[in-house]
Amino acid sequence: MKYALYLGCTIQTEQYGCEISARETLPRLGVELVDMVGTSCCGFPAFSSLSTLGWWYLSARNIAIAEGQGLDMLALCNGCYESLVQTKHNLDEDSNLKAFINDKLSKEGLEYKGDSKIVHPISLLHDIIGVESIGEKVKKPLEGLKLASHPGCHAIRPSLLGMPDKAEHPEKLDTLLKALGAGTMDYPEKTDCCGSMLASTAASTTLTITAEKLKAVEGYGFDGLVTTCPFCFQMFDGRQEEINDMIDFLLDTDSDEVELPVFYYTQLLGLAMGLKPDRLGLQLNMSPVDRILDKIEEGPNR
Amino acid sequence: MNSVMVIGGGISGIQASLDLADRGIKVYLVERSTSIGGTMAQLDKTFPTLDCSICILGPKMVEVDQNPNIELLTYSEVTKVDGAAGNFRVTVHRKPRYVGESCNGCGECAKTCPIEVPNEYDEGLGTRKAIYVPFPQAIPLRYTIDRDVCVECYRCVEACTGQGNDAIDFNMTAEDVELNVSAIIVATGMDRYIPWNLGEYGYFQYPNVLDALEFERLICASGPTGGNLVRPFDGKPAHKIVFVQCVGSRSQRLGVPYCSSVCCMYATKEAILVREHDPDSEVTIFYIDLKVFGQGFQDFVDRARDQWGVEYIRGRPGEVREHPYTGDLTVWYEDTDTGIVSKKEADLVVLCTAMIARPGNTKLAEILGVELDEYKFFKVKDPLSSPVETNVPGIYVCGCCHGPRDIPESVAEASGTAAMAAGLIEVTSKEDR
Repeated sequence: MKYALYLGCTIQTEQYGCEISARETLPRLGVELVDMVGTSCCGFPAFSSLSTLGWWYLSARNIAIAEGQGLDMLALCNGCYESLVQTKHNLDEDSNLKAFINDKLSKEGLEYKGDSKIVHPISLLHDIIGVESIGEKVKKPLEGLKLASHPGCHAIRPSLLGMPDKAEHPEKLDTLLKALGAGTMDYPEKTDCCGSMLASTAASTTLTITAEKLKAVEGYGFDGLVTTCPFCFQMFDGRQEEINDMIDFLLDTDSDEVELPVFYYTQLLGLAMGLKPDRLGLQLNMSPVDRILDKIEEGPNR
Repeated sequence: MNSVMVIGGGISGIQASLDLADRGIKVYLVERSTSIGGTMAQLDKTFPTLDCSICILGPKMVEVDQNPNIELLTYSEVTKVDGAAGNFRVTVHRKPRYVGESCNGCGECAKTCPIEVPNEYDEGLGTRKAIYVPFPQAIPLRYTIDRDVCVECYRCVEACTGQGNDAIDFNMTAEDVELNVSAIIVATGMDRYIPWNLGEYGYFQYPNVLDALEFERLICASGPTGGNLVRPFDGKPAHKIVFVQCVGSRSQRLGVPYCSSVCCMYATKEAILVREHDPDSEVTIFYIDLKVFGQGFQDFVDRARDQWGVEYIRGRPGEVREHPYTGDLTVWYEDTDTGIVSKKEADLVVLCTAMIARPGNTKLAEILGVELDEYKFFKVKDPLSSPVETNVPGIYVCGCCHGPRDIPESVAEASGTAAMAAGLIEVTSKEDR
């Protein structure tokens, strides 16, 4: 298994834990990650409201680079994944559009052919590597932990594009958590938005959406929240302190502060494999993950 | 030869058979399952009069049993049809019941049977034994052994001999019966759309989300809970009930584009039943349009709203959610009269799913040589001028096998087909002379 690793903006500018933990764990599951040279922004789905062609161009440019390397493309971020998949779909369906974009790409000597597949981490882990292979690598099962899964919007939508999991009642990330020995269960807010899409236009609404989800997850007695998406992660993990500063205002009621540990799936995967937290970028998590790390360190017989 | 075959023993097939038999015409009533009765036998009440469904149907079923002109072929299917109007040669495949005609329905066998499986009649909410009658009023009241689940312990045989009878015969085999009939009436009824692809309503995930026929069994006094309206999640009483209209019907996205024509009315009926059972209950019906066009229908809805306090909200819910610990449901919806998005708590959510054609229609249509429409319902020659005739002379259709319709319309059509078939017999017998 060999993939061109596409990182995108969020991971490279702030979500180092996502990259670190992926680079640490995936090779141990037999995945060879090949760096891409000269990539740009994924195109960003929201950019389509300003310039759809610009979006497709940027996206296609990145896919063309992976195709130049003769590899399928692993996009760790949900936003990038959606951008690339949507663009690929549009270009493959519309030969005129493909010709137009290729005309622009030719200035750099690039060409979009449509050969490379775009792969999401959940598909890679669940469908390609498989839960059994993951289970075989588990040395320290996460027994006794109850974790909430958050696949994030573009791991499940738009469903007509054949996303990694079902739009309603997704369960692959839960299955992956169970493979690590952790407990999990369905909860009503599982497919709720992380809030990030409104961050630049409606800051307090964004935080309300994030706060409602965090409070709900905490309310069901989960020990932590797990995602693969850096965009979602930075809302749940990075904005918790900000949310707590104004939680009464955000939720419009007297409310206790949120203290919910948030993880990348690959971080938990690494911990279950017996790797040290600092090899997985866990020192960079801003949510209170330490108590969970202690629990995992103590083992299931604590 | 003055005989007619009726395929399907629901209310339409029963009515057609009785009408023909009363004219002195020999009728072969072929029913696929072990008892006649059809969907109507599963209903609690009928709209808009709130009559007890089985109280109307039961006597008709008994009449079928006792009428000397009707020969009942239950647990049987039509496998071959040759010939033409006035002289059809039909092969009927009779599946073995493993219980002979000397069975008097005493039920001692079922008492000793150790196997218990979900009961089709109660839509899986209750159970039956491996040797069973689907419901107490079944016609014929003769037990059947479900060999798919039977473990052949033969306790039923002992019980039967203990009663001085020897009805049970494990060596019974299937047989093919050849019949000659002048006309054929198709009354195979309908099926329901299973919302497998409408994940937003959680039908397969949440025990407290039911479809309307399941709810009908739940609220029925002869149902699995004796008519106690309880939540399947925890068995606690259900007070807040939400009905969702047009689940899979009138949908361009998933399901079928047509209207199922009876859901607005049966949901109103079920809503009134809930309020009758429990005056403290809160009942809400979410609808797109209220299609209440029949006689007394609008009045029925007005009474539900004004006298029974049933809440009608115009809007199709977007999502149903379940609290993982309590099983309580939350219905998210947009009230399209106000444009406001909000949510409603519910103990039970009842999905009024689309009425669809039976999957078996395709095979039966092939056997009969009649056409189906784009939704696999039987196609009539002309909906305006020949509403019960098919493209094959001498083969008629009535009831839900050619599109969704209510009980009165099915009964009227059944009488229509009986008249057509009788007319055909009159003409052909004159020709014979």
